[in-house]
Amino acid sequence: MIEVKDVTKKFGRKTVLKGVNFTAEKGKITCLIGINGVGKTTVMKAIMNLTPIDGGEILINGEKIHKGSYEKITFIPDTITMLPQMKIKEAFTFMADFYDSWNQKRAEELLEFFRLKETDRISELSKGNTAKVNLILGLALDVDYVLMDEPFSGIDIFSREQIAEVFTSHLIEDRGVIITTHEINDIEHLIDKAVLLDNGVVLKEFDTEEMRENEGKSVIDVMREVYRG
Amino acid sequence: MNVKFNNRDPVYIQVIQYFKEQIAKGIFEPGQEIPSRRELANRLKINPNTAQRAYKEMEEQGLIYTEGNLPSRITKDEQVLKMVREELILEAVSTFIHSVRSINVPLEEVLNLVEKEYEKE
Repeated sequence: MIEVKDVTKKFGRKTVLKGVNFTAEKGKITCLIGINGVGKTTVMKAIMNLTPIDGGEILINGEKIHKGSYEKITFIPDTITMLPQMKIKEAFTFMADFYDSWNQKRAEELLEFFRLKETDRISELSKGNTAKVNLILGLALDVDYVLMDEPFSGIDIFSREQIAEVFTSHLIEDRGVIITTHEINDIEHLIDKAVLLDNGVVLKEFDTEEMRENEGKSVIDVMREVYRG
Repeated sequence: MNVKFNNRDPVYIQVIQYFKEQIAKGIFEPGQEIPSRRELANRLKINPNTAQRAYKEMEEQGLIYTEGNLPSRITKDEQVLKMVREELILEAVSTFIHSVRSINVPLEEVLNLVEKEYEKE
């Protein structure tokens, strides 16, 4: 389990995270929801220690996060970090050299799942296909937790559908997934848990099936209540 | 499998409902093998934990059964199959009654209409 406890973060005079609390379990898909600029990406970067936090703590499996923890977690940013002139094959080799946890077999399975070819050059891919390659590079690592920043943003509907299918497939295994999104429509039935963020705080955290079962409310219903009051 | 889920009912309950309908229609036959929870999640585009939950409930209700490590199957229990059918019919009838009641149609008129329209289809 990843536990984010009372995390605060300031950028200069601006407090971006004002005591963020939530948990994300293994085997579940947790979705950080909020409009752009509420701190979703900062939360992910804080978990990854890409940005130092000013207060609070982050635990993984009960332990305070340390260097070794990052063999268990990976972060997939919203844009690909590979050089555009690389072929997919070369990007794979780069990852294999860089990460001990690289799983070539799974990378190839994912490539097949998305119907992409090793010889495709990143610069020649569509936006949707670039997003898929970006996702493959993270998902092919043997880690317990995968953090994805806006995996559905700015790409065509069929790419979105295909990416959503990964979440239901065996390729995700029983890993813990945290994704951020500002658009819940496509993935309402895919997620286990919703964490509604606004202005640096978590306004609500809930299990989506329990919410439907106990209160008969969709994620969007709850969002409407929370954000619009 | 193409199911349109609504956003306000628990997805696992909608999955069970779908299975009941397929059983009542005879599309899922007694003893027929059903997809694994992953396959089901993938085909219905739902969360695998939800698919698991639906299977667990259906197993408890006796709608499906699993022997050892083999894939799960639709029940062959006549009693259960009969109940599924009756439950669905009753559900459809009560929805129907609810809507005709709301427009105050006398039973006799409804029954006549039902008979006439039923033949047409």
